[in-house]
Amino acid sequence: MIDLYSEEDAIATVARLTHTQLLSFVKARIVTPMQSESGPVYRQIDLVRMELLCELSEQFELDDDALGVVISLIDQLHGVRAELRAFVDAIASEPADVRERISEAVRATRSTG
Amino acid sequence: MSDDPYAALGLKKSATAEDIKKAYRKIARTSHPDLNPDDPKAEAKFKAASHAYDLLKDPETRARFDRGEIDASGAEQQERRFYKEYAEAPGNPYRSGQRFEDFGEASDIFAEFMRQKGHRDRQESGQRFNVRGQDQRYALEIPFLEAVNGGTTRITLPNGSALQVKIPKGSNDGQTIRLRGKGEPGYGDGPPGDALITLSVRPHSLFRREGNDILVTLPVTLDEAILGAQVETPTIDGSVKLSIPKGASSGQILRLRGRGVKSIGTKSRGDQKVELRIVAPPEIDEALAEFMENWRKTNAYDPRKGMKI
Repeated sequence: MIDLYSEEDAIATVARLTHTQLLSFVKARIVTPMQSESGPVYRQIDLVRMELLCELSEQFELDDDALGVVISLIDQLHGVRAELRAFVDAIASEPADVRERISEAVRATRSTG
Repeated sequence: MSDDPYAALGLKKSATAEDIKKAYRKIARTSHPDLNPDDPKAEAKFKAASHAYDLLKDPETRARFDRGEIDASGAEQQERRFYKEYAEAPGNPYRSGQRFEDFGEASDIFAEFMRQKGHRDRQESGQRFNVRGQDQRYALEIPFLEAVNGGTTRITLPNGSALQVKIPKGSNDGQTIRLRGKGEPGYGDGPPGDALITLSVRPHSLFRREGNDILVTLPVTLDEAILGAQVETPTIDGSVKLSIPKGASSGQILRLRGRGVKSIGTKSRGDQKVELRIVAPPEIDEALAEFMENWRKTNAYDPRKGMKI
């Protein structure tokens, strides 16, 4: 069984999270719970995401619009990193001469901009 | 971790509340593990700083610390998990680039902006944007046998409408089913998003699943174990006769080939593994006890021989 948290469970687990905040995250669509027959349910990733969102909104005094831009950039960063890691792993399993050619091409691109 | 919260923030004791906030924000910007995922030293530095900030941000707590009434270890933080640990996982629903594949050449940040604002601003600006509708995610709990044998079920949506979901044979716990075009409507001429349904399989009282194999624990009587027998065992498609060999033991595993799960992409079915468990008779009558007494005199054996330490 996968771990799912109800609204109350989520608020109890994420120390900084208030009910108002949770609703505003969902309304701004920066957190998207799953729907279930018993109402919205949250995954572990939603909880950790809300922890970060609370931190950003509290400490940098960001409103929901600014928060949406920041979290979208963070998501893109992580997405690109995952893609990059997939490429690096794929290249690592290629023969030495292929790896050498690729790293030369990368170096050349870097130096010429 | 440093005992001096001022040092953790790079400050002197004379720092103002504004200095403390500024210093903390600066460290959060340069060292928050979620904002600097490639820096291995970021986490320790950020943790020290946020620990220090928790202590110093409240003027009253800070004053008590300055007077020596509490020390820096006072407000110990609980184990913190960072978003980056989850964010790169393949199933991350927030990964951009996955939801906007139909949006054409526009950058994802633009699509993200449209997704949040387009709804409201469209009429005011008089422009038409075509954006693919948002995917809608659902959690659906299904019985064990439905996951194994497949089936059709319905989910009732919050707005009262229902969605028909076909559960493929051999579905796994945590598996996601995509229903194209069943998500939210698109903006402008954009196509609707998809419905993504994540299955959660309810455990069964008899069957467990291990990959494509089904595991069952089957109780057998003392006489069946000793003399061998044909007994009925439940399988995922009904009852089946199983031969218990003469002299079977508890824990022995019998295999019913091809009685397991057939999942998508595999040609053959898995097996059912039946683990035997000998159950003693509810009452030991005198005849049985006497027989055992006599039998023991001539046939004693030691199943724990290999267990000497």
